[in-house]
Amino acid sequence: MGSFDYAEERPEHITAILNGLDRYNPETTTIFQEYVAQQCEDSTYDCYANLALLKLYQFNPHLTNSETITNILVKALTAFPSSDFSLCRHLLPPNFLPPIPNATELTEAVQKLTTLNSLLESCNFKEFWNTLDSDDLFADLIADVQGFEDTIRRRITGVDTSDVETRIPGVIDSSMREIERTMLEDWLNLRDEKFEEFVTSVAGYQIDGNTVIISLNKDNEAKPTITRESVKIDQFSRVIRRAYEQPA
Amino acid sequence: MLTRQTQYQNGTHEDDDFDDEGILAASIVEAIQNDDEDPSQTLQTLQSREDDLQSRLQAAATPLEYQASLEARYASYDNYCSLFHFILNSNGPVELDLPTYYWAWDVIDEFIYQFNNFCAYRNRLAKKGQSQEEIASLRENQQIWGCYSVLNRSQMNEQLAAIKRGEDPNTVAGEYGSRPLYRMLGYFSIIGLLRVHCLLGDFTLALKTLDDIELNKKAVFARVMGAHFTTYYYVGFCYMMMGRYSDAIKAFSHILLYITRTKNLHNKGGQFDSISKTMDQMYALLAMCVALCPTRLDDTIHSTLREKYADQFQKLQRGGEDSLAVFEELFQASAPKFISPIPPDFDSPANNIDPMQHHLQVFMFDVKNNMMAPILRSYLKLYTSMDLHKLASFLEIDPDDLRNKLLIFKQKSRQYKWTEGGLLSGETINTSDLDYALQKDLIHISEAKVGRKLVDWYLRNLTRSYA
Repeated sequence: MGSFDYAEERPEHITAILNGLDRYNPETTTIFQEYVAQQCEDSTYDCYANLALLKLYQFNPHLTNSETITNILVKALTAFPSSDFSLCRHLLPPNFLPPIPNATELTEAVQKLTTLNSLLESCNFKEFWNTLDSDDLFADLIADVQGFEDTIRRRITGVDTSDVETRIPGVIDSSMREIERTMLEDWLNLRDEKFEEFVTSVAGYQIDGNTVIISLNKDNEAKPTITRESVKIDQFSRVIRRAYEQPA
Repeated sequence: MLTRQTQYQNGTHEDDDFDDEGILAASIVEAIQNDDEDPSQTLQTLQSREDDLQSRLQAAATPLEYQASLEARYASYDNYCSLFHFILNSNGPVELDLPTYYWAWDVIDEFIYQFNNFCAYRNRLAKKGQSQEEIASLRENQQIWGCYSVLNRSQMNEQLAAIKRGEDPNTVAGEYGSRPLYRMLGYFSIIGLLRVHCLLGDFTLALKTLDDIELNKKAVFARVMGAHFTTYYYVGFCYMMMGRYSDAIKAFSHILLYITRTKNLHNKGGQFDSISKTMDQMYALLAMCVALCPTRLDDTIHSTLREKYADQFQKLQRGGEDSLAVFEELFQASAPKFISPIPPDFDSPANNIDPMQHHLQVFMFDVKNNMMAPILRSYLKLYTSMDLHKLASFLEIDPDDLRNKLLIFKQKSRQYKWTEGGLLSGETINTSDLDYALQKDLIHISEAKVGRKLVDWYLRNLTRSYA
């Protein structure tokens, strides 16, 4: 069981700020910014803390750091299909949404990332990779976030941990049993050996000719179930009592 | 335990069943007095100001007119500030008899309402660009009704609650716990905080603030109808905005059912008018949630929902492009009046976008993504296995497109749902009764059915045969 406000790798000083009055203190902005930078570097993710930073920006627009905002959004992308990206967007200033009266570099970047997010959310992975490659701006935006592409791929396929129970589910393995190789290549934007390596070692799928086979899990077995009524003896207590009171 | 009981009995109200909440609020109070000097001194000054205070307390709970002038708004803010300052920053606990039982809630409620109203007023002015005089005055008084001070007022209490929570109840409850003023004020300000965060668009933090409060019928807030009601409205709304529709549905139907059942008890005085308005809003929100995450509702709720929003509900459930307008309409009518945390840009009115539009857009984004789901469902329900191309030709869309839609359908049916602990925690479960798996282009479909329920029928007839 998880909780949204919990992050495994969150350092203690961040926890202290988050639980205290300091989370409204503009001076903590820099600490949070460093924390975001650290998340980008070592591929950890702490949405709850990042939202606190966005909130600080919300109250103190003059402190806004464009790079940190885009980094937070890019990090939120890697958490799809959760609603993290939307939650971040709720905290951005209202004038970041189209139509934008006076566009800035930041609003443009946010727009671009929103496009990426909508492609991911609509599971249009092929188009996602095409869009990502189509514009140099994206390369700049995701440059800070270590292993961005790989994380996205893991989100798409799911990550094999050699145990069905602890497997981190992805979009594909919750919905599919078999998929055409060419299609999956497009979805992951990987070809040949790289593709084979990723699919077999990270995702834990089997490749059989032109077919990629995904092992069964609780989400892709689609087993019909019938919930039966559970009958407890208590329900009959009145009837039974009556039977004793007035023997027929 | 015994000592605590007696203390409660000395209090002004019948407090015996207040156990946990007493601790909570007591802790708030104790930590408030930072420099603990001489309580008796405060008491003395207080006596002389008693009359004056009573009238101020009354005033604080009295609603401000909607059309009130700017000066009135400033004055009212100053009043709240001095009142809160007096209560919280005096040396030691303040000895006060509350004007009414509901007072604490009313004050917090009114304080936040005025704050909300003021922000809306400010935005309206900025947009129209008229009445230069008022704008100038607003510009000079930016700190008034500033979000910071509003947050700090309530934040103070929340913080203290959290710190002291783990401590020994007996020592904490002491002197302060028996003072209903602090207990109530502290408690309700936490709920106030839930509201403010939600209005600002920080839905996760809003839910987080309720960590220390137990949501059930026995909770303190349940005694004050307005508070009980408001809490569930905001909790449900926050869940909805987080995409946790099943939790939202649970919150809404819980409170709606509760109100329906206790309607006769509350049906006196003006309080019920505002409640029935919020009830309509909750039914609308509930309709949206059910459309996004098909769930079987309680029969009473379901029939009321169909009574109130028959057309809209049907359109929502049908999905597709037509439903979008209905979603927008209902959202605008039933969402809380969002506020923008910073003063508007008076120089370029075009920059000031209504916060409501902002949140609506983000929300609609999620809705649009999933608007095909009801249509897909209606087809999938008819088959146990089906070819993807065949379904695509039924729907007249591109097979690749359909595949994406199916993937979305699956993603949306897996939701984070609360089981125990804090409101933000939960685990991923399948909320849909319809499930599928793709084997290349073959769709295997399965349905979770609920078997026939026979026991009730059997028992009913059995009793009849005895008679």
